[in-house]
Amino acid sequence: MLEVNNLEAAYGHLQVLWGVSLKVSEGEFTSLLGPNGAGKTTTLRTIAGLIKPKGGEVKFMGESIGGRRADQISRMGLSFITEELNLFTRMSVRENLLLGAYGTRDKKKIEKSLDFVLDLFPVLAERRNQLAGTLSGGERKMLALGRGLMSDPKFLLVDEPSLGLAPKLVLSVFKALQELNGRGVTILLVEQNASTTLHITDRSYILERGRIVLEGASADLVEDEHVKKTYLGIE
Amino acid sequence: MELAAFWDLILTGLLRGGFYALMALGLALVLGVMNVSHFAHGEFYMVGAYAAYFAHTAFGLNPLLAILMAGLIGFAIGALVEKVVICSLRKRTKEDWVMNTFLLTVGISFVFINSAKLIWGARFRGVAHYWEGTIYLSEGLRISIDRGAGFLIAIAAIALTWFFLNRTQLGRAIRAVAQDEIGAMLVGINLDRMNTLTFALSSLLAGIAGGSLLSINAAYPYMGLRPSNRSWYVVMLVGLGNVGGAIMGGFIVGIVETLSYYFLGAGWQDVASLLILVLILLFKPSGIFGTEVKGVLER
Repeated sequence: MLEVNNLEAAYGHLQVLWGVSLKVSEGEFTSLLGPNGAGKTTTLRTIAGLIKPKGGEVKFMGESIGGRRADQISRMGLSFITEELNLFTRMSVRENLLLGAYGTRDKKKIEKSLDFVLDLFPVLAERRNQLAGTLSGGERKMLALGRGLMSDPKFLLVDEPSLGLAPKLVLSVFKALQELNGRGVTILLVEQNASTTLHITDRSYILERGRIVLEGASADLVEDEHVKKTYLGIE
Repeated sequence: MELAAFWDLILTGLLRGGFYALMALGLALVLGVMNVSHFAHGEFYMVGAYAAYFAHTAFGLNPLLAILMAGLIGFAIGALVEKVVICSLRKRTKEDWVMNTFLLTVGISFVFINSAKLIWGARFRGVAHYWEGTIYLSEGLRISIDRGAGFLIAIAAIALTWFFLNRTQLGRAIRAVAQDEIGAMLVGINLDRMNTLTFALSSLLAGIAGGSLLSINAAYPYMGLRPSNRSWYVVMLVGLGNVGGAIMGGFIVGIVETLSYYFLGAGWQDVASLLILVLILLFKPSGIFGTEVKGVLER
């Protein structure tokens, strides 16, 4: 469904990605793991169209989308939940969610998505008229996920959902992602929390210094010596 | 001071404030959404006045249609200016965006004023009145129908804009761009299109203001400078880019000006209102309601 070939990306003269290739098939729950500064976020940003690739190719559902604008890519059914969340903080929860369905004309479909999201995150229903900027950290994450789901996306890019959350909330965010995947949404997850991520995802890629160094089924990677030592803290 | 005279002052202040609010609303939108320091806003007021003048006198349209025409022409020219000039600047600018937009819009203002002078000459073109007569509100309190109708049109335009921004998906998208551009792109909003729409909408409001005040301020090439300065004054007072605040601020400034005109004399009204601005900016640099929009002009 998503195919990235030899992707290169740079901020000005500072090159961050040096030929990253990865592949996510329909229905799969895939993760991209790696240390700080490895280029995980840059990879997602480039796929989503926020950064123009310097080289290589990004294919989504058979179409080459490298260099397209972010709003065009979003309308193809790819939702990107950023680490900063990029919520509309001076709008209510409900308005944020409605804007998530910006590309949808059909009012009934919007209502359906709204019901789905509020069912998935009941706390958002309680807070529907509250300004997004006044929500707690965990609620913001749920709102960002909810907004990303309002367009009924086929593919979800999620950047570090566990960052800054209490352990209990981390678990519930991962549960929500698992449930979404169970309902047929393909997910590419970027995480630092390697042990949990490897246990809930199907396949994983390890990114280090802008290059993919390892890939495979998550269950196999848990047993890998390099992964054990570097990411799971097992000697 | 008599009670009737007091109400007369307040009424005059409100009528004036309605137009300040209308002008400042358009400017606040451009500031908040596009981060363009817009110094040609008054020229769209001028365009509206000329449009209404010719629609009313040459084509014999009734006043309401002439004012509507002023708004539509403002919208069309605003859209064109954004697409051709501002959008091109955005594509080329790497830094100093705010300074560049300042220079660019001052240039636009210059071109508009001198084109008007070239085409229509430096003479006033006005109408004696749209509607003849006065409305008696009570003993000693009366206003011309033109002023009353103009005020109602300004209020209606403000209310419709408010409804558009808060209750429609397109209006929400405009606010979304103002609050988080990346978030807006990621939900599928085309930034270029929103910028053009915002600038056109702002110009529509200025055009309506110019058109509906035609019987009070005749069309003239330089007529836009004062409304432009006034609207900057209002948005600085309330906080740049604050749309709701701009509406309130328009009325505050209208009333303050009228009161200082009455109590201090015509020569002092600007001194009084500018003194208030200086004092407020001294103690609260972000403006009266400016806490939430500190990103504007700094991005």
